[in-house]
Amino acid sequence: MAEPLIIETRDLHKRYDGVAAVDGLTLQVPAGSICGFLGRNGAGKTTTIKLLLGMARPTSGEARVFGLQAADPTASVAIRRRTGFVSDEKDLYDYMTVAEMIRFTAPFFPHWRADLEARYLRSFDLPADRKISTLSRGMRTKLALLLALCRRADLLVLDEPTSGLDPAVIEEVLQAIVAHVAGEQATVFFSSHQIGEVEQIADRVVVIDRGRAVVTGALDDLRDSYRRVQLVFEGEAPDMTFRAPGVVRVRRQGRVLTVLSSLGAEAIVGEARAMNPISIDVGAVGLKEIFLETVAGEH
Amino acid sequence: MPFYKAWLETRWRFLSGLAVLVCAAVAIVLAYPRAVAVLQEAARFDRASELGRQIAENLDLLGSYQGYVWSQWFRQTMRQLWALFAVMLGTGGLLAQTSGGGALYTLSLPLSRTRLLGIRAATALAELAVLALVPALVVPLASPAVGQSYSVADAFVYGLCMFVAGSTLFSLTFLLSTVFTDIWRPPLIVLCLAGFIALVREALQGPSTASLLGVMTAESYFRGHGLPWLGLFAALALSLLFLYAAARNIARQDF
Repeated sequence: MAEPLIIETRDLHKRYDGVAAVDGLTLQVPAGSICGFLGRNGAGKTTTIKLLLGMARPTSGEARVFGLQAADPTASVAIRRRTGFVSDEKDLYDYMTVAEMIRFTAPFFPHWRADLEARYLRSFDLPADRKISTLSRGMRTKLALLLALCRRADLLVLDEPTSGLDPAVIEEVLQAIVAHVAGEQATVFFSSHQIGEVEQIADRVVVIDRGRAVVTGALDDLRDSYRRVQLVFEGEAPDMTFRAPGVVRVRRQGRVLTVLSSLGAEAIVGEARAMNPISIDVGAVGLKEIFLETVAGEH
Repeated sequence: MPFYKAWLETRWRFLSGLAVLVCAAVAIVLAYPRAVAVLQEAARFDRASELGRQIAENLDLLGSYQGYVWSQWFRQTMRQLWALFAVMLGTGGLLAQTSGGGALYTLSLPLSRTRLLGIRAATALAELAVLALVPALVVPLASPAVGQSYSVADAFVYGLCMFVAGSTLFSLTFLLSTVFTDIWRPPLIVLCLAGFIALVREALQGPSTASLLGVMTAESYFRGHGLPWLGLFAALALSLLFLYAAARNIARQDF
């Protein structure tokens, strides 16, 4: 049986002063998954997250979280009661101490995990009496993560949780997220432009470009279905158009024609044989290549 | 807890306001003997000119301790200082905190924007009530130090009128803080507006009892015409209207 959807958007649009930040985004995040939301800077990741949490209103389309309309102010409060959020800027109250920030947040969440709070304070080495304004970016991120994880939230929405952190802290943060999900059965939706970290912890991926989802699915399925077909010809490679479904991109360079397919290689290889290439090479494709070909190649 | 946050965000403005107003109240009371000496000196003033007329009016008020306190404290110093702190307490809020000030964290909490706004307004209004009543009530407490007495009830009435009527300045700043993202424009606009109203009233020589500033100082009550009920209700209605508009404004904002 398919897992219920925790996040679902349909043809979601958001325009700011006539500029489309989100442009017909349709995505689904099933319960229990760790979904990496991958995109270049300015692709619409943060705007999408704000739309999901009711911080911005959609221009048109629909966003649902836990089956509730994110744009409805009352439903949005119910959504936020079950959601832990870490913003891109690690936006916290600079005038509070770490302990005050925790004391302030805990009462909003009746199922606040004091045991986790104590554990993360210790393992993240967070100084309870330090003012937040004096914390390093790494420390701020850890505190923001603690505040999100201890809510016993069903959904964690993390906007670029590792941006600006050194590799050691990135590893610490990613491990904390994975360990938490394993223990608490939460769903994670995290945005990033770091392909490596998405590959490391995500089991699903949504790639967004110019406000639209251009790749979406389980990471294993993407790895299985995406193929690179390289055709080498005796002379100049022909300028050919493939009828096979799933062709993402065709590149012609001298004697070599490279085809990226999102639906396997069989149909493309079959078509290509008619052109008499001297060699046909089919290779697996990593997330980085999928991302670069679908997103970076567009620009 | 949201009240605690609102308190932390406003406490220095509130506490500095309280300290300044209480010190000013004590200073005004203690200056009374010197004012009496000046009164005798100034009796020779030419009262024909406009400036002379105003000086004469003030001198007449200084003739009694009640008149001195109302004129020097409630009508001038307290009104100006209190208005300044009311405007200062109206600034800030979600929009001003959008850039690294914690607005996104606040908005991620399970609280409606209306409730957030209501809590911030309620906290600031409670602080303004203290800023109006405590310095007003300091006058009867300090008066024996200069051999005088002052009615607690009168001080309470002046403090209450200051709070109710002056809250319009707070509410307008509060509303403008849901329009502008910086913390400077809302207080500047409101202070300029208050100054403009005062200038127009001065230029037109209209009845000060009918103006916002006249209601703030309960001039009709001082002159024995009773409380300015109409002005107080009008100010209250205006404040509620500004707060409602602020709530509507923040509800439709994108962050």
